[in-house]
Amino acid sequence: MLTFVGLGLYDERSITVEGRDALRGADRVFAEFYTSKLLGATVADLEAHHGVEIEVRDRAGVEQRPDPILDAAETEDVVFLTAGDTMISTTHADLRLRAIERGVDARVIHGVTAESAASGLTGLQNYRFGKAVTLPFPYAHGADGVPKSVTESVEANRERGLHTLVYLDIKAERDEYMTADAAASTLATDWNDALGVVVARAGSPDPVVAADRLSALAERDFGDPLHLLVIPGDLHHIEADALRELAGAPPELLEPI
Amino acid sequence: MGRRKKIVQECERLMDKPENIRNIAIAAHIDHGKTTLTDNLLAGAGMISKDLAGKQLAMDTEEDEQERGITIDAANVSMTHEWEGTNHLINLIDTPGHVDFGGDVTRAMRAVDGALVVVDAVEGTMPQTETVVRQALREGVKPALFINKVDRLINELQEGPQEMQERLQSVIADVNELIRGMAEEKYENEGWKVSVQDGTVAFGSALYNWAVSLPSMQETGIDFGDIIEYNRNDNVEELKERSPLSDVVLDMVAEHFPNPLDAQPERIPTIWRGDDQSDIARQMREVDPEGEVVFMVTDISMDPHAGEIATGRLFSGTLERGQDLYVSGTAGTNRIQSVGIFMGGEREEVEHVPAGNIASVTGLRDAIAGSTVSSVEMTPFESIEHISEPVITKSVEAKSMDDLPKLIETLQQVSKEDPTIKVEINEDTGEHLISGQGELHLEVITQRIERKRGIPVTTGEPIVVYRESPTRASDTVEGVSPNRHNKFYITAEPLPQGVVDAIKLGDASMDMPELERREALQEAGMDKETSQNVEHIFGTNVLIDDTKGIQHLNETMELVIEGLEEALDDGPLAREPVQGALIRLHDAKLHEDTIHRGPAQVIPAVREAVHRSLIDAQVRLLEPIQNVRIDVPSEHMGAASGEIQGRRGQVDDMYQEGDLMVVEGVAPVEEMIGFASDIRSATEGRASWNTENAGFRVMADNLQREKIMEIRERKGMKLELPASIDYI
Ligand SMILES: Nc1nc2c(ncn2[C@@H]2O[C@H](COP(=O)(O)OP(=O)(O)OP(=O)(O)O)[C@@H](O)[C@H]2O)c(=O)[nH]1
Ligand SMILES: [Mg+2]
Repeated sequence: MLTFVGLGLYDERSITVEGRDALRGADRVFAEFYTSKLLGATVADLEAHHGVEIEVRDRAGVEQRPDPILDAAETEDVVFLTAGDTMISTTHADLRLRAIERGVDARVIHGVTAESAASGLTGLQNYRFGKAVTLPFPYAHGADGVPKSVTESVEANRERGLHTLVYLDIKAERDEYMTADAAASTLATDWNDALGVVVARAGSPDPVVAADRLSALAERDFGDPLHLLVIPGDLHHIEADALRELAGAPPELLEPI
Repeated sequence: MGRRKKIVQECERLMDKPENIRNIAIAAHIDHGKTTLTDNLLAGAGMISKDLAGKQLAMDTEEDEQERGITIDAANVSMTHEWEGTNHLINLIDTPGHVDFGGDVTRAMRAVDGALVVVDAVEGTMPQTETVVRQALREGVKPALFINKVDRLINELQEGPQEMQERLQSVIADVNELIRGMAEEKYENEGWKVSVQDGTVAFGSALYNWAVSLPSMQETGIDFGDIIEYNRNDNVEELKERSPLSDVVLDMVAEHFPNPLDAQPERIPTIWRGDDQSDIARQMREVDPEGEVVFMVTDISMDPHAGEIATGRLFSGTLERGQDLYVSGTAGTNRIQSVGIFMGGEREEVEHVPAGNIASVTGLRDAIAGSTVSSVEMTPFESIEHISEPVITKSVEAKSMDDLPKLIETLQQVSKEDPTIKVEINEDTGEHLISGQGELHLEVITQRIERKRGIPVTTGEPIVVYRESPTRASDTVEGVSPNRHNKFYITAEPLPQGVVDAIKLGDASMDMPELERREALQEAGMDKETSQNVEHIFGTNVLIDDTKGIQHLNETMELVIEGLEEALDDGPLAREPVQGALIRLHDAKLHEDTIHRGPAQVIPAVREAVHRSLIDAQVRLLEPIQNVRIDVPSEHMGAASGEIQGRRGQVDDMYQEGDLMVVEGVAPVEEMIGFASDIRSATEGRASWNTENAGFRVMADNLQREKIMEIRERKGMKLELPASIDYI
């Protein structure tokens, strides 16, 4: 049996109770932290807290050589961990399919993901989000500036009045996390005065939510990672109120529909 | 005022008069007398002392050149010469004749407008004669002919006037055949045919310092009979008084080679593909000293005092100290520290150098031989195409750990100075690889590293460079990214030979405007639709994008190209470079989000797919081959041809020339290592021989596997080929 367990957003306690039970009951535990990682806990913290031993696999160890995980899952109860949810931005659907191909049972125990924090902390309604994008580090996508697909998706959402959730690139192996001010500064070249909402350290005890012009956000410092950014579309009046109350948005930027 | 100072002033005065400038190169087969001629022209023009010239080869300034008795580095010199009452500034480049240093010849041709082709009257035109004439014509450089060593016809071969004239005529005819073959239009209509009547041929002896041409004979009244008399009566002194080498040759240079004003409008379109309507194009055509600076670097050298010197042709503008100039292929600008010209054989710093001259500057730290340097960002000049790629490699290692950084720096400098060298630096193992044109080339470089830079090194045995190339069209291969969210559908097939040649010669490149490139590729044999989808050219390989309207492919293409280049740099058989492959991308499936189709996904997927498509296209190993020509007395002919045949070679032709037999054939470069001593002992030292790299050839099927395994073992690769390689 292979159980995918999302660790949630922040530390060893962000996991669901169901996930915790599966984790503690597993014969073997694998994890990957190359797509994202928990900012409030190390692997050792997780191991100590849950009383388990975790085998961390790198990208090649999951994508190219998943056999040890799948072999183990044929005979034992195996848990595969990631930060957030295992199936949302960090798509491990492929690993699940490979397991099923080999006749291994696979189930998913959800974790809290940045997506729900983006709505939850900002007050922007999840119904009103369009396509999400990731803003990559320039070196990571082989071209200059903002990839065209990102610009196009944001534009398409804006035309339809929808919000865009912008994930910020994480290069865990290099310990590089794009910050919201850097992202705002990059995006400001296209949408200088547009409204942006920063969510920093979602899930931690001290999350920061801030709304302002992208050009103004670019000048601020939001502290430790992880960060994400939302570019709101048209605002419902409750959304406008929320941004003012929860995110300190300047009133002149809030025009409810 | 000192004599030198006076000459400097005169040169500076002439620099500003492009109509009185001639930029020329001397080029020939090895040992035909280029350097002796250069020396004696300089001496005749009063630029160096007469005692120094000739016998001592003053222009072969390097210690190894003196020792080996050959020119290794092209040398820049300048002199003044009065013709028809007007003083002329002649900037001249003496080039090496040894085939391993052919890159110097090609680069020199970029800087000049005229090529004085020297042919030894006894040997006649030889393989390198043909090569240098071709290099000149390809660059749009006008040829003239000097037939040298005529003294030997008289003194050694005891020829009379009749025989002598016949022999000279046949040399002229041979040279003209080369010119007509490569530049028919100019040969027929623009006076590029060399002829005694037109005064574009001169004869003489560079060593004994006399020469004649039709105009000189008319002026002095000296004819062939007189020349023979003077030589037979030991009275060459008088001959050289009455008909001095430098006057005859430099008159020919001044009269028949174009000045920059005439040459540049013709040459710019052949060497530059920028917009011909632009201001900068006009300034280059007009040799405008007030225009933007456009400087083509053709030579980088180290001067013990001045540091790194960049020499080249200034096509437009005026070079001055303190200018900040762009260097093609690098970001930012470099500041000119000093500006100089050549005076005799030495560099002399001056205030400024105007368009039309050969200038030498310091401060261009980012420039390499071949860079375009300019005061505004511009389309660079066509890359200087080298007729042959490196074929032989040697490892170099510093003997002492302390020298490691210095060796790396030196190797980087070496590849800046000589683009026909390829350097692969391996900081992990410290075992660096240098690849070059031949054994001598590598020997000279490693020796210079030891002697001039004082770094003791150990070098490995020379190894030949191989290539891998597809031999048939493959089926479609699917490449999947590690996360399995991205897929690429790729085929490989052999690129038509005509297209390979066009790419090699720079007739088709990604630097060209798209329409022009399409036309060039179609002309070379690519079908129309394919030529419209060319996405990338890498070495002599082409990537075709046959996909239609795939979302996000645009921003993924850079990564596709990266994966392709990695696959082609290290071919599937033995990690040797792939050549002559046409790779088509037929379809792609991409993940929605950039992160899931980043480098870690796309590059391995494409690399895998390209390798598998090449294997399906039955990729095979190619080895470099050489043309070999041996001149040998007839009693040793059997032994000489045996030396070729015994090296997996084949003899193509044998014929008599004078009292010698000529054996011509081809053989693999690998087998030719050590040829020098073998042919010497096989023919009692009576053979003279030439080789010339002649590209790559598929190795025989029965040798493929063994050779592939040998290379894999040397590189520490697995000694097992993928099961799919079942055809060799
Ligand atoms: N008899 C005779 N010998 C000559 C003449 N010109 C040159 N030589 C000799 O030919 C040999 C080669 O002369 P170089 O001037 O070094 O020839 P090169 O063409 O510069 O040679 P590379 O630069 O090595 O290609 C020397 O021994 C010269 O003395 C000539 O006119 N007559
Ligand atoms: Mg020479």
